[in-house]
Amino acid sequence: MAHRESNGRKIFITVLYMVAMCRGVPITDLLDRASQHSDKLHSLSTTLTHELDSHFPPLGRMVLPRPSVCHTSSLQTPSDKEQALQVPDADLLSLARSLLQAWVDPLGVLSSSAYSLPHLAQSKLLNKIQELQQQSKSLGDGLNILSGKMDQAAQTIYSLPYRGGNDIGQDRISKLNKFHFLLSCFRRDSHKIDSFLKVLRCRAAKLQPHMC
Amino acid sequence: MRNVLKWTCLLLLVGTPHAEGHSPPGKPTLTSCRSPEKETFTCWWQPGTDGGLPTTYALYYRKENSDAVYQCPDYVTAGENSCFFNKNDTSIWVNYNITVVATNRLGSTFSDPVDIDVVYIVQPNPPENVSLTIMQDKGWPFLRVAWQPPRKADTRSGWITLIYEIGIRMEHENEWETHVAGQQKLFNIFSLRSGGAYLVQVRCKPDHGFWSEWSSASRIRFPDYFHREKSTWIVITVFCFFIFLIVTWLLHVNSHRSVKHCLLPPVPGPKIKGFDQQLLKNGKSEAIFSALVVSDFPPRSSSNYEDLLVEYLEVYVPEEQQVILEESKELHSSCFKSESSTSDSDSGRGSCDSHTLLIDKGGQSKENEDRPVRTEDQVEAEDWEEEGSDAKEDMGGVDVPSGGRVKTWPSVFTSPSDQQISREHCLSDSMIMITEGVLGPDPSEFSLSATKPAVAQLCKPVKSRSDINISTFVHKPWSVDSDGVRPVTEDTTAFLQPFLLQERDYSKVKRVGADNTLLLQRLADVADVDDCEDQTISTGIDLKTTPVCMDSIMPGQEATSAYVDTAAIFPMPTH
Repeated sequence: MAHRESNGRKIFITVLYMVAMCRGVPITDLLDRASQHSDKLHSLSTTLTHELDSHFPPLGRMVLPRPSVCHTSSLQTPSDKEQALQVPDADLLSLARSLLQAWVDPLGVLSSSAYSLPHLAQSKLLNKIQELQQQSKSLGDGLNILSGKMDQAAQTIYSLPYRGGNDIGQDRISKLNKFHFLLSCFRRDSHKIDSFLKVLRCRAAKLQPHMC
Repeated sequence: MRNVLKWTCLLLLVGTPHAEGHSPPGKPTLTSCRSPEKETFTCWWQPGTDGGLPTTYALYYRKENSDAVYQCPDYVTAGENSCFFNKNDTSIWVNYNITVVATNRLGSTFSDPVDIDVVYIVQPNPPENVSLTIMQDKGWPFLRVAWQPPRKADTRSGWITLIYEIGIRMEHENEWETHVAGQQKLFNIFSLRSGGAYLVQVRCKPDHGFWSEWSSASRIRFPDYFHREKSTWIVITVFCFFIFLIVTWLLHVNSHRSVKHCLLPPVPGPKIKGFDQQLLKNGKSEAIFSALVVSDFPPRSSSNYEDLLVEYLEVYVPEEQQVILEESKELHSSCFKSESSTSDSDSGRGSCDSHTLLIDKGGQSKENEDRPVRTEDQVEAEDWEEEGSDAKEDMGGVDVPSGGRVKTWPSVFTSPSDQQISREHCLSDSMIMITEGVLGPDPSEFSLSATKPAVAQLCKPVKSRSDINISTFVHKPWSVDSDGVRPVTEDTTAFLQPFLLQERDYSKVKRVGADNTLLLQRLADVADVDDCEDQTISTGIDLKTTPVCMDSIMPGQEATSAYVDTAAIFPMPTH
């Protein structure tokens, strides 16, 4: 599956680069493809979260205080539909790109931390995390190409550094807790990205009512 | 006093409910929270025991990263034991921590808190306006299902992306057949049963959410396209009928005899009597030939003789001539090895053993070459047939410079081992035959009887005869080459013993002389028979020698070429 993902990513990149060269592929198709990628990314994160919960029921975690906010919470994103629909295209894309960029490092931390997890199906988790990384990378590349077709505002990428460090904890409970927390933040952010791209897609497809 | 009673009654009244079972309310549980369009959401809870007292429920929530606790704004809209959050109160991508509190007079009970994010609890309403239409596709009808997304879901702006699914079943069935339609809002269903009644329903699901409820089922009756099906059945029936006919015919043919036998008749194999194919495959030619010889050729019994002979030529000769014929026959027979004779190392080309006493018209023994593997019977028959034909041809053409019609016998009898057999062969068949051509001008003088008794008679030794003048029955000059005159099979060919020292033309056999010699008259000396005696042919017949101008060939020649060794004949037993 990882192989397929990388292949899909390569195909996606190739197509997008060709589009950039030829300007033959309309932006609606590009957005369609990007939203498919983001959909897949969010599905992967949801599956991973469920798998983690199935092995480690959150009973123990509830004892501890909930960790602080996600590292991407500083980014101002729309919080309801009206707000979201008022955001211009370029800004939406910029938000999506920023969020995606913010998760490159934390996903690496998750990937390296997966080895130390006391998990029975550790390899499965590891595979899925690596898949997440690949999918995220390919989507980021596609969005970079898309941004070139939009306004200058689309080029803005907000810096959202991850300051959690490489270590996710010492003891088993805290490790699991942090792991779960990071995954939940990622799940939300991937959903944001997906929603923004789908809004953009429908905005660009005004002449194709069947899509939206 | 009264105050004490009052307080006691009050205490009793207070204490009584405990005794009757009133209790604080049981723990309520939040069953589910759902958002139909990602803009509002509703939460439902299940109340616990009420403790026998009127209990009120309250829902409190706290947003993520905020400590402010709010109470449910709307307990009514969504019905009993529910809380409805409208658009203003709903924030997405924000965790809600929700708790329900049950309160009665005796106390309150909190439920377990639940964390929800609105975007993860989306379950839309069922699709609306499901319409069923019968459409035609080149005469074949199909069903088109069309619907609208739920009213509240905003799919136009892309806020919600819905995927649809259609369920269809026949009215009398129980199981639904589902088809995923993706994001489109219409779907075509083909291959429905003619005249069937169907129920169709649709449901939808957001990209990351829960399936909606099924829409209310719509009923439709598929039209009858019965006639088309009927014509198809007619075609199938006719086709099966033809198949049935063909199968019946095949069975009928097979019952009489094999179809394969009918279509591909077997090729007749070779049927050479005594011919062993295995020997041929082994490659031992000698063995093959010996095998051929071993078989019943020459025919021993008299009964086979008639099978071998094709034609008979009656030859009546006067006594002398008959003797001569017999002698010549004996000569021929004597060519075959007798018991007293020495071994014949002749190659066989002209030896008596080889039966090759016949010279072809062209001087070739073409039969020799192309009949090495024929059976004896075939060989004989063919030879005789050819001779007969040749003889007939030669009836008119008298002039045969090459010496008349003689045929070469197939050289299958050339092996030394054949000598024994060939001896008997010679005796058993009458080989004194003179071609009609040779007989030519005076056929009436004699007729050669190649019947079996005559042969037998002829094969008898004629020692008693003497001075047989055989010149009378030899009119036709013929040349005798080094190979000699070869004996011809049966009827129409005259055969004389092969051999001869010199190639000369001899017109006839003058007589059989003593010392087993056959006197041949030279061509030039036809008129002058008694002039000289050139040669004598050693025939092995014990005859008086008569000085004639004839060449005689000594028996000693037999080693070199064809010869007549009549000496070998006499000792041989007669048959």
